[in-house]
Amino acid sequence: MLPYLKQALGNLFRAPSTEAFPKGEPPAAAPGYRGRLVYHPDRCINCGLCLRVCAPQCMERTVEKLENGDQRVTFTFDMTSCTFCGMCADFCTQHSITLSEDYMIVGTQPEDFLVTGTFIKKAPPPRPKLTPEQIAAQKAKVEAAKRAKEAAAKAAAEGAKADG
Amino acid sequence: MFDRWMDNSMSKSPWIFHINAGSCNGCDIELVSVLTPRYDAERLGFRLTGTPRQADIVVVSGPITLQTRDRLVRTLAQVPEPYVVVSLGSCPRSGNVFKGSYSIDGPLEKWTHVDVSVGGCTPKPEAIVAALAKAAELLAEKRKEMRR
Repeated sequence: MLPYLKQALGNLFRAPSTEAFPKGEPPAAAPGYRGRLVYHPDRCINCGLCLRVCAPQCMERTVEKLENGDQRVTFTFDMTSCTFCGMCADFCTQHSITLSEDYMIVGTQPEDFLVTGTFIKKAPPPRPKLTPEQIAAQKAKVEAAKRAKEAAAKAAAEGAKADG
Repeated sequence: MFDRWMDNSMSKSPWIFHINAGSCNGCDIELVSVLTPRYDAERLGFRLTGTPRQADIVVVSGPITLQTRDRLVRTLAQVPEPYVVVSLGSCPRSGNVFKGSYSIDGPLEKWTHVDVSVGGCTPKPEAIVAALAKAAELLAEKRKEMRR
């Protein structure tokens, strides 16, 4: 009887085990929880690996060509389509996709669930213009290297024959 | 005055009806855990009901499969106006990993209005409680509009 009484009396002064959530702040998720996706466009290199590994195909990429040859790349992630498997984050070599611990993915409009990011991919610098003499010099250089290699191979083969 | 009294009372006890439209049971378990003592949605007046005719909030989980589609539409037709539809998890809004399957006829928007959505696979109970609280707000607004 006494242990029960102890428990009963103790419960009177104990805080309730019910979470007070809708009144206060939501409690933090467990460490390592895979919640809302975070995209860092400044790190992205537009390799497109995330698009390949995404099972529910929740991401969309639009590439817009700019006048100076650069590309404006926009990634859109739909959080109502994501399974939060974390494959995109695992495969991202640049760590530009991470999954945060924010689990409050609640909204009334489809736009509430979109995670977007835009970055500009620079075009490579234009090729240098060479004069015909420079091209000829480069060609001769390549030829000479080729010939030297062949001569070395021949010498090695003859050496092997002589040994044999 | 009686109407106002009724509305005020009803806004404090929105009853939930849960439709499983081909869900994997993950979201369903989380919805049930919302009603357990730890999260205790019943202190906010939410209560699971067994019939759509008593429901104020309809919670739909799962991608809409061909088998459940007709039942979903028939059940939603029995819910008295005004009602709020909450889509639970990623599946009802997009099909999730089942997207493009021959046996899926989603998204839920195709069949009804979706007022509140919860993302996540599965959503945490706290997120579901937040969505239900939001749905209750929308319901009170809808009821007020209907009175006008």
